[in-house]
Amino acid sequence: MNRTLRWGVGLLLLVSLAVGAFLLLPFRTWLPGGTVADVPTSQVVNGTAFNRLFPEPEAGDLLVFTQEKRGFSEARLKHGDQVKALLAISDVTTAPEARRKFEASQSRLQGWPLVEQGPQATALLVADRFQIKVIGQGDGLEADERQELIGQFNLKGLAALEPAA
Amino acid sequence: MSSVLERLDRLPRRNLTVLAIKGLSTLVPGGWKNITRADELIGDVLGSTDPELIRQVRARADALSRARHEGYGRALSLYDAVNRSQKAAGGLRLLANIGGALPLVKRVADLTPSSETLQAADLSLKVAAEMLAFTQVNGLPGDSFGDFAAALAEYAGEARVRMAALICFDALLPLGDQALQRLDGLLGGVGKRDLHQLPAYAGLASRLPGRGDEAHLTFLRRGMDQWLGWAGGFSSQLGLSGQKAVQALESTLGPWQGSFQQMATFLDSFTDTYQHTGVQAVARRLVERATAEI
Repeated sequence: MNRTLRWGVGLLLLVSLAVGAFLLLPFRTWLPGGTVADVPTSQVVNGTAFNRLFPEPEAGDLLVFTQEKRGFSEARLKHGDQVKALLAISDVTTAPEARRKFEASQSRLQGWPLVEQGPQATALLVADRFQIKVIGQGDGLEADERQELIGQFNLKGLAALEPAA
Repeated sequence: MSSVLERLDRLPRRNLTVLAIKGLSTLVPGGWKNITRADELIGDVLGSTDPELIRQVRARADALSRARHEGYGRALSLYDAVNRSQKAAGGLRLLANIGGALPLVKRVADLTPSSETLQAADLSLKVAAEMLAFTQVNGLPGDSFGDFAAALAEYAGEARVRMAALICFDALLPLGDQALQRLDGLLGGVGKRDLHQLPAYAGLASRLPGRGDEAHLTFLRRGMDQWLGWAGGFSSQLGLSGQKAVQALESTLGPWQGSFQQMATFLDSFTDTYQHTGVQAVARRLVERATAEI
């Protein structure tokens, strides 16, 4: 075997090893695009921390948690079989554009800026970081009903949350 | 890879799959609406038709479904894997049905996995895929096991037509009306060899918790136990049976003269009900989240 051929075979082996390692070993989690907006998950508050801050449902109503992810927790407020509203707390670290709508807001709830989004959604930004949202479903809710629901969240507890180290 | 909402937009408005689900949905109160447009779904959740808000929700939903950690894409790939293998198994059985009459191809009939045990194993894989997809999409909602069980029940209630399709097409039609009572026993008889005969297993094995076939079998049996408890109540509440399912399907697909098993084979080979409703279910949860985050 001549010298160039040996080099060629050696290189080919190296390249195929590297490609194989890249495809087979779990390197993919290190690539960008794994998390929302490429923010490391450690900088985002886990949804578990939000669950206990949801309002206690009134008699006859039921609160069913439906989603819990990093930086997000959502529950449905139900009355019998009817879904009345979606309640959610999210960490806006991964969605900085969500902050913008609060800049022009004049209304306040317990000191935090409040925004109406369309006819069925109300949002509150707590501590410039956590967004509470109430979205009326089915027959819908009036704006003051939604604001009252937002007021029943544990806002002080939410403002005191720190991202997990 | 296309995002969840792009997949939703590409779903068929009217084909065999849609007709089959539509027919079956006559058995389920509340019915079924074939939502195949992302904007319609967003408007439905948001309660508004403001194009700017819809655009924001859509952009957020696409960002979420592109992030691998969030699991929305992974849930869809689970459904795709199950669908592919269902098609493959259905095609084989179809071949066996036709081939059974011809001496030359009769051997194909002997090769095909058509026994009831395998059907039970196939269903248990679908149920497992459903649970894995649930945790991929929704995480582990709530702080206690009770919360989690409530979240599962809520999801199943929302996907009522989807669950009815699973019960009818994969249990009642191929296994008879006592299917749900018999499944536990049937699944007990499933061994490692049966599992390996299933095309779906190869696709799902790496995603099932636990290492090795034994652990996977245990997981499948446990998942099935959970699901059977729920499905039993659900099907007796609606009074589901093979007969009723075929009648409901006949209302949209036209008269059927074959046996129930042949109907199940036909549906397996030519429809994508599991995948179709799966994309819609994932898309709704994704849009609910995106709406809350914009």
